[in-house]
Amino acid sequence: MTLPNLLANALRGLLANKVRAALTTLGVIIGVASVIATLALGNGARAAVEASFRLLGADTVQVAARMALDDGALVAAGKILSYEDGLRMPNAAPLVKKAEMGVRGAAKVRHDRAVLDLAVDGTTADGLETLASGGQLQPVGWPEGKPRTAAAFIGQGRFFTASEVLEAAPVCVVGYRTALDLFQGDDPLGQTVWVNRQRCEVVGVLQELEPVDPAQRHRARSNDAFYMPISTAIRELYDEEPSVTITVYVADERRMDEAKAQIEAYLRARHGIEQSADGKYADDFVMTTRSDILGAQQAAVSTFALLLTAMAVVSLVVGGIGIMNVMLVSVTERTREIGVRMAVGAQGRDVVLQFLLEAAILGAIGGVLGIAVGIFAVPVAASLNNGIALLLPDSVPLAFGVALLTGLVFGLYPALRAARLDPIEALRYE
Amino acid sequence: MSTQPSPWVIEAEGLTKVYALGATTVPALRGVTLRVARGESLALMGPSGSGKSTLMHLLGCLDTPTAGSYRLEGQDVSRLSRDTRARVRNARIGFVFQTFNLLPRLSALDNVALPLLYRGNGAGATKQAARALERVGLGQRSAHRPSELSGGERQRVAIARALVTGPAIILADEPTGNLDSANGIEIMGLLTGLHREGVTLLIVTHDARVAAHAGRRLYMRDGAICREEAEHDVA
Repeated sequence: MTLPNLLANALRGLLANKVRAALTTLGVIIGVASVIATLALGNGARAAVEASFRLLGADTVQVAARMALDDGALVAAGKILSYEDGLRMPNAAPLVKKAEMGVRGAAKVRHDRAVLDLAVDGTTADGLETLASGGQLQPVGWPEGKPRTAAAFIGQGRFFTASEVLEAAPVCVVGYRTALDLFQGDDPLGQTVWVNRQRCEVVGVLQELEPVDPAQRHRARSNDAFYMPISTAIRELYDEEPSVTITVYVADERRMDEAKAQIEAYLRARHGIEQSADGKYADDFVMTTRSDILGAQQAAVSTFALLLTAMAVVSLVVGGIGIMNVMLVSVTERTREIGVRMAVGAQGRDVVLQFLLEAAILGAIGGVLGIAVGIFAVPVAASLNNGIALLLPDSVPLAFGVALLTGLVFGLYPALRAARLDPIEALRYE
Repeated sequence: MSTQPSPWVIEAEGLTKVYALGATTVPALRGVTLRVARGESLALMGPSGSGKSTLMHLLGCLDTPTAGSYRLEGQDVSRLSRDTRARVRNARIGFVFQTFNLLPRLSALDNVALPLLYRGNGAGATKQAARALERVGLGQRSAHRPSELSGGERQRVAIARALVTGPAIILADEPTGNLDSANGIEIMGLLTGLHREGVTLLIVTHDARVAAHAGRRLYMRDGAICREEAEHDVA
């Protein structure tokens, strides 16, 4: 039998029972869709890990207040992590080279008749360098591979200085879009804006920025920024002193553990945290390093991926058994046909091939439909997994192969059974 | 395959078939010896249970004998594997069944071409099948499916399928058993015509009128041939 003949045969066999064939493929469809989603999660996790590599350097520790739920709101579990905590840290912990701080609040920003509700970033004088080295944003049209320097992020004027931060000076730096919205094309430098009830002088405007990742560009609001010295932001935006986020740069990344111990000891002393009877400390702050982020992210993704893999395996087995069942029914129904084919000269392998091909086609149909479903399922999987999912084109042939293999594996037994029929018995079968 | 052409299409010596039924054994064929010459036509008669179906299965290489030997065109085929027997059936034997046994989803032409497709390469199969259909007088009906044909036409398609490979012998098992008498006569006419063209023919039948067309008649009882008649014995 030539391949076109075999294919025509198999299709004729399947088309004789369209509904049955369609129902049979359902399990494979679900299985293949899960395979696609699982692969997308794996790829997404890898991409996210790579992104966080850029986000947090190997020499940095992020320190934040431990949060707890109180009546549905997130509040500091113990003492807040204060601006003072950060200011004194480099002196108290010798391995801390630099402690950058940030808060993020919301404010009404006014100029003339323009009123904007903005997210306000209070930072130390290194805020712009953090933005540049963060690796998420770049000036529009920035050449790939070129190092992103803080200077390239400033369009006009300057960022605020360390002494302005210490004095809580009423100054601000605005994003490209923010400047357009507030000043309608007038020169922003030296202009005065109202941040809540405080007058602030605009000392700098950022370049027009875009996300480095092209996939993020359509939805990111990269140019709505509004920067103030952290001290000024704390005074003007908050009724009570807020917790800050401290990004600690360690002098020697090989002595990271030592540095963490120094920070820990310093903060415990400042917050008055005593060792309890069992030798533990009830710390009210959390330290995060790059390896912590990687570990947590991988753990979260792998739990979810494991679940999906299990689902893929279960549905493929269920789908495969469905195929096997339908093929067994088909073999029984066509016992007489098999007898006739054997009588006119079909050998064992001819019969095996005929039924195996039918099973493979069932698998392949399930594969194609499953891939279609899977492509729609990836955004759903992403939304259940913090947006971490990425569909790569090479997942498609892989998933298709899995579907085909399912058909072949589960079609083998019915096909062998057909080939082992006794031609005399088969010809007599009613 | 033998190199020197044998005058005998079939040479069976002491063919014996015993079926195991649980603990007991049932002899279906007790040492049948039979020779069929090239171009002969033969009828195999006898009541049901006399062993004629079993003999037909052995001669058709659908089964192997428990004892005895069977040479088909000089080649010993009594101890071949399943797949080798399938090849022998494909190359040397044409089957015609009582119930036609056409594949319902295939057209008449595709049904006739089927044996050729199992020969490895299907080149020219359609043309050969069309010729075989013309030979049985169904050249105009080749695109029809079996369900669109009358009983007589279906049996003609089946005969074309048996002919298409140019077999050494055509084994016809009650070829008119499912047909009314008019169609039966027509089919016997066709088979007789083919025999006159040189086809070797073995017909298994209950029907004395069908058997009357054959040049030689064998009667079976209890798994053995009990009587033999040549053409001139018939009144």
